[in-house]
This record gives sequence, structure tokens and C-alpha cells, in this order.
Amino acid sequence: MNIDEAVKTYQTYYCLDCGVCTGSCPVSRVLPTFSPRIIVEKALFELGDELLHDRELWSCLTCGRCFERCPTNINFPEFMRSLREEAARLGTAPVLSHHGMLQTIMELQTQGIQQKKTAWAREAGRIADKGDTFFFVGCMPYFDVIFREIGVDSLSVSRNVIRILNGAGIEPVVSDEESCCGHDMLWNGRFDTFKRLAARNVELIRASGAKRVVFNCPEGYYTFKHHYPQYLGNLGFEVVHFFDFVETMLADGALKLDNGGSVYTYHDPCRLGRMARIYDGPRNILKRIPDGRFVEMERNRENALCCGTSGWANCSSCSKQIQAERLKEARATGAQVLVTACPKCRIHLSCALGNMDLDIQIKDLTMLLAEALQESG
Amino acid sequence: MEQVSGKIGDFHVSVRKRARYVNEDLCTGCGSCAEKCPTMAVDVFNAGLGRRKAIYKYFPQGIPSVFTIDAPECRQLGQGKKCGICAKVCQAGAIDYGQKDSIVHLEVGAIILATGYEVFDPSVIPEYAYDRIANVVTALEFERLLSASGPTAGHLDRPSDLELEKEIEEIRKEAKKLDRQIRQLEEKHGRSSASVIEQVAGGADKELRDWAAQAEKLLTMEKSLAELEKRKAAAQPARKLAFIQCVGSRDFRYNRFCSSYCCMHSVKEAMIAFEHDNDVRSTIFCMDLRAVGRGFEEYKLRGGSQAGITYLRGRVAEINEDEARNPVVWYESTTSRQVIHETFDMVILATACIPSSSASKVAELFEVELDENGFFKTDPLAPLNTSRQGIFTCGCAQGPMDIPESVAQASSAAARAAEVVSPARRSA
Repeated sequence: MNIDEAVKTYQTYYCLDCGVCTGSCPVSRVLPTFSPRIIVEKALFELGDELLHDRELWSCLTCGRCFERCPTNINFPEFMRSLREEAARLGTAPVLSHHGMLQTIMELQTQGIQQKKTAWAREAGRIADKGDTFFFVGCMPYFDVIFREIGVDSLSVSRNVIRILNGAGIEPVVSDEESCCGHDMLWNGRFDTFKRLAARNVELIRASGAKRVVFNCPEGYYTFKHHYPQYLGNLGFEVVHFFDFVETMLADGALKLDNGGSVYTYHDPCRLGRMARIYDGPRNILKRIPDGRFVEMERNRENALCCGTSGWANCSSCSKQIQAERLKEARATGAQVLVTACPKCRIHLSCALGNMDLDIQIKDLTMLLAEALQESG
Repeated sequence: MEQVSGKIGDFHVSVRKRARYVNEDLCTGCGSCAEKCPTMAVDVFNAGLGRRKAIYKYFPQGIPSVFTIDAPECRQLGQGKKCGICAKVCQAGAIDYGQKDSIVHLEVGAIILATGYEVFDPSVIPEYAYDRIANVVTALEFERLLSASGPTAGHLDRPSDLELEKEIEEIRKEAKKLDRQIRQLEEKHGRSSASVIEQVAGGADKELRDWAAQAEKLLTMEKSLAELEKRKAAAQPARKLAFIQCVGSRDFRYNRFCSSYCCMHSVKEAMIAFEHDNDVRSTIFCMDLRAVGRGFEEYKLRGGSQAGITYLRGRVAEINEDEARNPVVWYESTTSRQVIHETFDMVILATACIPSSSASKVAELFEVELDENGFFKTDPLAPLNTSRQGIFTCGCAQGPMDIPESVAQASSAAARAAEVVSPARRSA
């Protein structure tokens, strides 16, 4: 899609030049040269070349704060995505985090490399080769290896998902053949890679006979729910979030929580919140923890602040500043635990916390659930 | 309106006249009933900011100048208690608790729909936090705060300070009650509460423990009262004001249309605030300030040069609140291309004019069409004609417009209606 087509598709000509996007943008607040409004303006004034070669094309976090508030409903994140696809075609790329290791892993998965995604799962609980419910693990096994050094045990989250699903009498399918969901490739402008990954996953899940796929990661969930049908048509299976199960199980009394006693606040991941519009589920779960107290940050739900980096690209001092601000905001509520529901938010915020002298813990909601779970045998 | 039938020149209309529980032929509007009425209720005319009695006049200049009983709030009518004070004090004998709704049948030749408008509720915009931040108010609420007959007698007291006052009042009331109880105990037993607290620390029976607990509760209350009083004493009237334009209008999420009059009422309110207190400084955040009307542009410029108003191009992105309960406004100044956050004493939202919630019901009853925004649809070349012959509309029922235009339209609509009925008058 070239710039003219993107302008037409996302109707950016409705722009009122009002500045709500830039005023809302967490990046613009730190990096004065970055402005969504100016990007839209340049596209409208046919300054496309300049735009596509501008490194700031990759500074956008695609967090959707701007789109949430745009008075003319311009979907800036998606508009940005199409500009990036065009830019990637011209050979420009973002500054890749972690030396591009994660992007390499994603590319490799299009080749069908041998993975060992089930060994840990068999240790964690009961899984199946075929069945109604497929648990899409996502990047957790990779994150677990890469980010253990900053104290984030990503795979424990997946282990606990299996344990809790088992507790509900579900033996999910977990597959060695599962590929990356393609979320980051999509937002890095590498559409072809995304599409190859997506096609592999859909084929695999269909072959497993699963009727529904459970996600714990908001990015995988949103990509399957929103982008897969957009590019691959009807998937033939249902896409559900793990929290839907948990909520039902809590309501039915199948899950019981105790071991509370802390003050919690919740950080809305942008894919789960603004994009998938799941705000209440995680809060309802948190509020059920006995003796716990739930407090909101000043900026919550639709107004939530981003965790500072997206798509393993352009992590910078700007990202760190956003993260530090978010952590201080969480602490200011009096919370002892900042709960999030996205593996990346957890990694990014934990990374920033490592360099700060701030008395707060960061926990994944599923981990917290596992801790608060009453062993009913 | 209950029923409408007939056609142009010969409409039959049934109107329900609600019971006001006061005989309007007898009431002289003297107000001694309201003076003596023991029940307070939320004052809707003052945008809920103040309180009034359960027998009231909607607003001081209302015509007819007759009182009405707010039945659900009234002790006698709503709560089934014995009261009857207003009936006792009314010298005209106008109070009638037994009054019922009545149906009035009208035979008319033409009808004018002047059902007005409603104001957009900004609490649906999460980024403006209207329902969360006390010092973010709507233009209508601000108008009442500025009014000499309003809840603050025209002084720009901040809503957060009004809340503080209420809180102090409540705690004081409770503390007074507690104090009385404790004094009674002290007199009865002839000893001080302090000595009881001391004794209880070493163990005592339940009665003494309760006494000590009460005495301690009173002490904490007095302490927090002192703290709140200190805050109240330090409270300043609002001097730094932010006006935000296009709240709920020119916005695809809510209403696409321009609400037309808000630019001018923001300038006007900023002007009046300045006239009341020359230290007031206002910033009006807008995409463009639409001062279309005779003398409006000059008025706007005068506001800028003589009344401390700054016009800033940029739509406000979000409002946060700081520890002192000041709203913090985040915006991009699109002229300087800077993202700025600025603290104000108060933020005033210029909320959109939207169709009255009863518009669709009225449209159905009168068999007239609505336009795409939900206002009464009119013929572009005959702007007061609805889609049905003999039925006209004017003012904000037809679309957002300011007072002079509404008045002009009202005269015009009356003339159009007269055209229909005048032949009949001569024939009779």
C-alpha cells in the first residue's frame, strides 16, 4: 500500500490538525521532534519520501492513545503500519533491540525449524496432542531464556496457564510446531514474514482439530483476533483469552483465591486494553483476591500509558523515561504490586525498575493468580 | 403532549398538565412557604451545585411566578410523613396536596415545536475525567458559579473547596453529637475522658472501653477537622481558567456537527470572570474560534486585549489532577509544535448542544421527521417548516443556535403560524 492508498484507506484527510494525537502521545512528550500530527500532515502534503526515510517512523509505539481520542477516528497505528510496510520495501528498518536476536528467531520460524515447545509443558501438567482446546504459548520459551537475567521468568506464566486449565478439567493441545504469531513482524513492516507465520499457525491449529485457541499473551490474542481474519479470512476456530476462563471459573467457584494482603494496581497492556477492549476482566480477577486492595493509577483503561517499547525496536532513553514515569505513577497510588497481563510490559517495566530505587514489585496477573490459588487438590 | 390528530388549520391536541400541588390562580409568589419548608433538595437549575427547598420556583425570574412542590422530595407527598407546614404558612391558601395531573384539550390551527435541546454529558470522554476531577466543570455549571443568584453568589469558589466545606460541615455535625454524648458520660460519672482512656490502656470493662473508644474517635475527628479547616482557610478563588472548546461536537465519536454557540459563550464567561476579578486569566483552547455574528469578532478581540484571555490553537488531549486537586491540562500548541502540560485552577468544558432526549418521541407523536443528527428536520428553503404541513419549529429544537438567533426564529415561527390561522380568524 503506497502512501496515497494509506491516506485513502485510513481517511487521514479528515484530520482537523487539532493536535490531540500529539498531545496524547507518550513519545511526543519525551521526544519533541516526534509528532503524529506532523506525520499525518506530511502524508497529506505529499512529502512521502521524507516520511519514509525518517527514522522517527519507527519511534511510534503503536499504543493507540492517539486513535482512542482522535475526533475524526483516524486509526493512526494502522496508518503507521502501512507506512512502515512501504518503508521496509524501500529497505529502511528500525533499530532492532537485543541485536535483532528476536527478529532472527521470528524469521527462522518461517523455515519450520525444530523447536522444543512441549518438554516444559509436560512437566507443568497434562497436555494433549489432539483436542478441542489449543493453548497458544507464543514467545514465552524464548523470552524465558533471554530475559531471565533481569529476573523475569516468562515460562512460569505458561506453566501456570496449563495448571489452571488442568484444574478446570481441560487438557490443552500444546505443539512443538507452533510458530511465532507474527505480531512484531507485522508492526516492523515485514508483512510477508507475518503472512508466512500466520499461514503456518492456522494450518497447524486446523489440523489439530481444535475448536478454540486460548491465549495468555495479549499480542497473540489480538493478532489472531483482528489481523488473522483480515488477511486469512475465516479461521474456523474460536480465539479466546485465558482470563475469560479464569473469570468463569472464579464465578463458578471452581477456582478459589486466598493469600492476598497486598495493595495492587493494574497496568493495561495496549493490545489487551485499547485494542481488544478488555479492561474489566483483569480488574475483576484482582478484586477477588481476598484481603487485597485494588487501586487505580491516574492513567488507566483507555488512558493507560504504554510500557515504552513495541515490536523489539527503537528502545531508547525515551522508552526508559516513559517506563520510569509509569513505575512512579504506580508507586504513587500506594500499591506494593504493579500487575500487568502482557509478557512484554512485564519485561520492559522490570528492565526499567532494575535501574531505579523504587519500592514496588512487578507481577504478571497469571503468576499472581497461581500464588493466590487455593490448592483444592 | 399526549395525543395529536387532525391536519393543518384543524389540529386536536391533548396536553398533560402536571400537578404542581399549588393553585396557580391563588399563589402570589410571596415565598413564605419556601422560607419555612424544612426539606432541602438538589437544585437542578443550579446544575446540581446548590440546594433548594422542596417547595420552590425553578428559577427566580420564571413565569408564571408561582411555586411548585417537588413531590418525591416533599415530606408529606413523597415520604408520607406528617408535615403540612407550607399549607399552614400560605396566606393565600394556595397549597393543594390533592392536586392531580389534568388533561387539557386544545383545538389549534398550527403548532410550533420549540422543545429545545440538551447539553452533552462529558463524562463519557475518559480523557477529560469530568466525573473524577471536581474542578473540571461544564460551561453551564460555570455559568451558575458566576451568577449572583447562583450557589456561590457569583464568587469563583472552586468545586473542590465547596466539597471541602460540605465535608467539614458533616464532620462537625457528627463531632458535636459525639461531644454531647461524652459530656453526658463525664457528668454522670464525674470523671474526665482522659482518665478513662488512661485506665482502659491497662484493661477495663466494656462500658469503659466503649467510652474510651468514643473519646478517642472524637479526638481524631477534631484533628482531621483542624486539618480540613486549615485547608479551607488556605483556599483561593479560581483565577487561572482553561476553557476547552468542542467537547462532544466536531467529533466523529460523538457528534459531527459544530455546536455553534460555544465559542461565544466561552469568551463571554471568560469576560465575566475577569470583570468579577481582574486577576483572572483565561486560556481558550480551540481549533478555530468561530465568532460569526454581528460584533462577535470585535468582542473576541476585546477579550484578548482587555480581559486577560489567551486563545490557544490546539485541542486538549487529556486532563489529570495534581495533589492540590488542580486540573493539569495536556495539549499540543499546534502553532509552536510543543507538547505542554499546564496547571489551572479550574477547567471549563464547552459541551455540545445535542437534541433533546424527547425529540424522537415528539417526532413520532407529531409525525414529523428528524435530521441525521436527531434535530427536527426542516426544509432548507423554508427553515421553520417541518416535514408536516402546519407544524413549525424554531430554536435549538432545529439545530444548535445562540439566543438572538433563537429569538428571531421564534418571532418568525409565530408569523408562519399566524399565516395559517389568520384566515380562520376573519371567517369567525
